Amino acid sequence: MSRGRRRGNEPEGGSPFEAYLGLVGDGQGLEILSITKRYGDLVAVRDLSLEVQPGEVLGFVGSNGAGKTTTMRIVLGVLEADGGEVRWGGAPIGFETRRRSGYMPEERGLYPKMRIGEQLLYLAQLHGAGKADAAAAVKRWLERFGLGDRMRDEVQKLSHGNQQRVQLAAALVFEPLMLILDEPFAGLDPEAVDSMSEVLHERAAAGIPVVFSSHQLELVERICDRVAIIQRGHLIAHGTIDELRTGGPERLWVDAPGAPAGWAAALAGVQVVRTDGTRVLLELDGAGDDQSILTAALATGPVREFRRDIPSLLDVFREAMTENRVATPA
Amino acid sequence: MPLLPDLSGIGGDATRIVLLITRREFITRVRSRIFIAGTIILMGLLGGYIVLQALVFSHSATKVTVGFAGAAQALATPLKAAAGADLQVQIQNVSAVAKGQDQVRSGDLDALVSGDPAAPDVAVKESLDPTLAATLTGLAQEVALNRSLTASGVDPKAVEAAVAKAAINVQYLDPNAALRTQRIVVGIFVAALLYIALQIYGQLVAAGVVEEKANRIIEILLSTVRPRQLLFGKVLGIGLVGFVQLLLLGAVALVAVAKTQVINVPTVGVTAVAGGLLWFVLGFVFYALIFAAGGALVSRQEDLGAVTVPITMLILGAYLVFFWLVANPDNSIGIALSVLPPFAPVLMPARMATGDAQAWQVALAVVLTLLGIVGMNALAARIYSNSVLRVGSRIKLIEAWRGSH
Repeated sequence: MSRGRRRGNEPEGGSPFEAYLGLVGDGQGLEILSITKRYGDLVAVRDLSLEVQPGEVLGFVGSNGAGKTTTMRIVLGVLEADGGEVRWGGAPIGFETRRRSGYMPEERGLYPKMRIGEQLLYLAQLHGAGKADAAAAVKRWLERFGLGDRMRDEVQKLSHGNQQRVQLAAALVFEPLMLILDEPFAGLDPEAVDSMSEVLHERAAAGIPVVFSSHQLELVERICDRVAIIQRGHLIAHGTIDELRTGGPERLWVDAPGAPAGWAAALAGVQVVRTDGTRVLLELDGAGDDQSILTAALATGPVREFRRDIPSLLDVFREAMTENRVATPA
Repeated sequence: MPLLPDLSGIGGDATRIVLLITRREFITRVRSRIFIAGTIILMGLLGGYIVLQALVFSHSATKVTVGFAGAAQALATPLKAAAGADLQVQIQNVSAVAKGQDQVRSGDLDALVSGDPAAPDVAVKESLDPTLAATLTGLAQEVALNRSLTASGVDPKAVEAAVAKAAINVQYLDPNAALRTQRIVVGIFVAALLYIALQIYGQLVAAGVVEEKANRIIEILLSTVRPRQLLFGKVLGIGLVGFVQLLLLGAVALVAVAKTQVINVPTVGVTAVAGGLLWFVLGFVFYALIFAAGGALVSRQEDLGAVTVPITMLILGAYLVFFWLVANPDNSIGIALSVLPPFAPVLMPARMATGDAQAWQVALAVVLTLLGIVGMNALAARIYSNSVLRVGSRIKLIEAWRGSH
């Protein structure tokens, strides 16, 4: 049922950051091992496994209520799983690791009447940073986000976009070991999206695993190294963008305007997925062969179009959802 | 084999986290305009009230200016000496009777004494203060007596000495009656202040819990600190704010009482303030835990009333029981209530102020309240931890206890 292939456990190796950080023993970063969470009769997350390597940006995709937020909360220890385990660097994740994880909850949360600078300093210290380091980090990040002169302003006086920046800064000011961001791009203008994704990549490049959830698939496609698609608590697809897009059965668009209707249906190992005027979308099973299809098409007359169909992530997502709906009726 | 470094050294100690939280709760509140203004106004009101009491209840001494002319000037010094606490006399020597009478008419003098010291003429505008009249009469009679004694060849000094020895012996059959009234007033004050302080600061704890739930910062906080640490930090920080405010009010009360001498026995005030502060600490921790658990059950400030009203009714109940206890200080049910945790924080300091509480009762109440705090801590921390992340409609107590959805 999964389109993508799960990446094996081959060691990532070689990243100088890992050696520097000394944090990821066997290159295993964050591992989620078959976690399950129930709310009464509702199974919010079911036997979900996922891993995020250091230096990797993972997009977590799914419709509302699919279990993304629950999974993130379990990773952070805000919620307790009913089954399964979260591991960090090959060992069960501990409080100190969670404490040093940067988290941006879906529903933003800051003290509205507290000054930005003080608030970030406070949160950094709660996350375990020393006062001097925290103060320097707060200054650095606020300046980076163009809020250096607003340190003494109350959070509630900032615009939505700036509040979002402060929220992200709150996850960054203590040198986090990983970043778990729930819908970080929701409601941001394109410019803010760019600057935020730049920060995520930068952090990943510094050797930490970055996970974020999003509805915006084209954004995920652009920003992520890998994608995990979740539906009704199930991981239904998981892989790099390329793996997901090319991982399905081979499909071909063929436009043979001179061919009689239904010509393609007669071909061996081929299924007609869709007909669009004179164009047909064919899906090849194991027995199908694109060259014999081309020959058959040319035999009917001129061929105006003959190309491999590589679906967008959105198509993959839609299809994964439909497939899964058929596969596991609720 | 995990190669993770040991991170426990990076400020992992719970105390540091609790203190960080305490510090934030304390500083953000103490710095707020409402706290500063509120404390100044309360200090003014309390000080003003005590001074007002002093003015109303003290017998204000009569102040008179008395002029003396001619031979009557011999009475000036004895009059000043004879004037007691009730009469303050200012002496003025006048060169001529007519001039003195003018001064009486204009109001510069309250009385003009002239003529023979044994039978002085006293000129007043319209009325003579009765205390002054009695004192002057006594002095004139003494002058007359001395003259007769001298005429009879007796030494007036010896007679005076003999007379001075004669005195009445007063027996106080109920020495505390007057003091008791004062102590009851102080007790009512202490009970009222504790009632108000426990209410206000308890509700601040509940509102603080809901604030973190309502704006969802709770989720960030709980990915970093444990629920108990957050709960303790909040209770400590807000309690410290209340303690500082009560300390300031207590200091104002003690200074005002000392200056005005509205209470005759200074230890009553000190006992009241010290007892009040001790019981605020105990009562606040006890009630703050309940308020925090209550606050965790709701997600919006608007819903807070429903959960805090029962708690505030309990404190109000304790306050009302005190009035009944004042009338029946020896009632065993009342005494029992004053020892039990939900009521002790209001009743016991008030009974200490009235002087009704015996040492063993105070000690028992402290022990029971400490035990109550331990029990409430287990209860409240569990309800708080189970509920604080749940958003939406009000959570039922039993659900919060079980922790399941």
